Amino acid sequence: MSEVLGHFLQALRASDVRVSTAEGMDAARVFGTLGFDDRLLLKTALSQVLAKSIADKASFDDCFERFFRAEDLQDLPPADETADAAASAEDQAPDAAGASPATGEAVQALDLQALLESGARVELQLALAAAARAVGINEIQLFTQRGMYSRRMLESMGVEKLERRLYALRQDGDEVEAERLRARLAVLREEVLALVDRQLLLMTANAGTRLREEMLQKMPLARAELGDFHLMQALVRKLAKRLVSLHSRRRKVAQRGVLDVRHTIRRNIEFDGLLFDVVWRRRKIDRPKVVAVCDVSGSVATVARFLLLFLYSVAEVLPKVRSFVFSSQLAEVTELFATHDVEEATALALQRHGWGSTDYGRAFTQLVEQALPDIDHRTTVLILGDGRSNYGYAGLRELRLVHERARRVIWLNPESRAFWTVGDSEMPRLATACDRVETCRSLRHLERVVGELMRSAV
Amino acid sequence: MTPTPTQPATDVRATLAAIHAGFEATGYLCSDPIATAIFLATRLEKPVLIEGPPGVGKTELARATASWLGKPLIRLQCYEGLDESKALYEWKYGKQLLYTQVLKDKLGDLMEGARGLAESIARLHEFDDTFFNTEFLEPRPLLKALWEPQGAVLLIDEIDKSDQEFEAFLLEMLQDYQISIPELGTVKATVPPVVFLTSNNTRELGDALKRRCIHLHIPYPDALLERRIIASRVPELAEAMRHQLVAFVQGLRALDLKKTPAISETIDWARALLLLHAPALDVELVRTTLNLLLKFEEDIAQVDGELYRLVSAARKS
Repeated sequence: MSEVLGHFLQALRASDVRVSTAEGMDAARVFGTLGFDDRLLLKTALSQVLAKSIADKASFDDCFERFFRAEDLQDLPPADETADAAASAEDQAPDAAGASPATGEAVQALDLQALLESGARVELQLALAAAARAVGINEIQLFTQRGMYSRRMLESMGVEKLERRLYALRQDGDEVEAERLRARLAVLREEVLALVDRQLLLMTANAGTRLREEMLQKMPLARAELGDFHLMQALVRKLAKRLVSLHSRRRKVAQRGVLDVRHTIRRNIEFDGLLFDVVWRRRKIDRPKVVAVCDVSGSVATVARFLLLFLYSVAEVLPKVRSFVFSSQLAEVTELFATHDVEEATALALQRHGWGSTDYGRAFTQLVEQALPDIDHRTTVLILGDGRSNYGYAGLRELRLVHERARRVIWLNPESRAFWTVGDSEMPRLATACDRVETCRSLRHLERVVGELMRSAV
Repeated sequence: MTPTPTQPATDVRATLAAIHAGFEATGYLCSDPIATAIFLATRLEKPVLIEGPPGVGKTELARATASWLGKPLIRLQCYEGLDESKALYEWKYGKQLLYTQVLKDKLGDLMEGARGLAESIARLHEFDDTFFNTEFLEPRPLLKALWEPQGAVLLIDEIDKSDQEFEAFLLEMLQDYQISIPELGTVKATVPPVVFLTSNNTRELGDALKRRCIHLHIPYPDALLERRIIASRVPELAEAMRHQLVAFVQGLRALDLKKTPAISETIDWARALLLLHAPALDVELVRTTLNLLLKFEEDIAQVDGELYRLVSAARKS
């Protein structure tokens, strides 16, 4: 039973339900109390112990259905015949491992042929399950391993003997008998392959997605395709959420603010009620304010969508974000982001404000006009853009003004550092009015940069 | 209620049936998952984290459990800024102050005839230190639940509204049913309370908390269960009307609304229709009472357009 549970937990983890050891132990206790008798009850109970969010519950249901189909043998009620069959199969498995190869194979081959001849489904399934266990099918990782595992299973069931016999029959010219044997072997292969496929599906449900996510994280944003947008979106949101939950814990500042009378009296009782050790009401400092400005002009067209995506996610997870986009004119999109979902919002922002020629000078002038009163010592100003101003005025004075008032100015540039001095890039000069300038070409970069950013915010 | 390694399945079923019946007697109709969760909570002695849309009876479940088990319900409503002095305990510092005054008066008598500092301190030690004592402890909900001699049902309502710090602080309580008071040591429950936590998912809860809980998600009920709930809560309502009413609400839930009506709203509506002595649903009746079900103007406007379709579908059921 614990083996079945172990495999089930493994399958659950493969379908991205996070199961801790403690929860596994709870599941074992549930198994112990409920047994296999009532499948629905077991499913409900396990789901409550193992899957702890609505998304997880959906994955759990799916996995449970597939797993206890794949392992339907254990789910069978121990009726008389099947119990006997199970016993014989259990006996058989150690035999295969323990007995000397020659005799073991002979016995098995005989069994296998008899099994195939008799057409007994249950016994065949049991033999298959035993073989699957023997080759460790639950280790299967990749689609390309199907062949190997099915061959190993066939071999452990002693199929070689039958194949040799088939060959001999063909040599002897006994076509009728050979055809019969061939057909039976084909059935067996099909069964084995089906089982391997089911296991593959179970164990690698989300492996493909995971691989793809990993690749996307490393890929330069400019190269990401529109088709990846959904996955990227989920990734960015995950990233933003993690960063915020990691770093948004509010700091508490003591020794400032209002006297906490109750606390003070309580603390000073030991001094005979003299107010000796003063306690201040601990003031909660709110989370950092962010003013984010994003370039959506033609020069960053390839990455604008993803920059916007990031901007949207930041606005989603942080409470006080004012978002602006610009190409030749600056426009506030805070409201747009708040009222539309991510796809609509990014598309609308691009459609309304995007694709123009860049004018950093005007953008920063307008930023000063529109947002300067809102920028104070608690504000982080985040600029996403390539710093290419078409040889025009880059707005250095205005950026300085912002820099003087803001807590920090951070510039994330989708171009790699080597290009910053080439052509119309104003980065070297603009960088003097920033606290931090970073290349931000892929999600990896983004994560690193923002992680550091938020750490230093605390 | 100690966990046993193997339990005959019949026994489990009997327990589940008993839970169903017991809850029905208190007027709460529970679905199978809910009964299973209660069973697991008592058997594994673990807290239950209940999630689900507002108004499906999360808080009600705790109340029903309390009356089923015959244990007192202790409720802790969470909010931002909730801290241990409001959730766990507080010293009665007024009384402590008085105590020091009394002690001061007595001090002269106590020290009479003592020679030297060492002897005075020795005498002071002989005198019981009752300054930090349970006498002066004002128990708040969590401590109250642990102190309850027969055990209690503890409801920690809307845990998602509290801060992360408070969530972390709860972990010790939820795992071992004990809490540490720095001045006194550890307080452990004699009978572990049955703990319910509810969440409306305004914030993602920490993994550590979720790991320690049984997770129960209560969705909107299906038509059958909802009819039974209405029958038990508003028994005076005619059966035909009950069918139509539930069918209508179920139809509403299929629409894309800002706030989908929950069970509590259905019950309110059923009571209103009873008061109006309505024999059957009709469009005018629904239109005038729709504000009991829907709480947003835009939702009402949206449903208004589809009222004929919804009502006729409900009448046919």
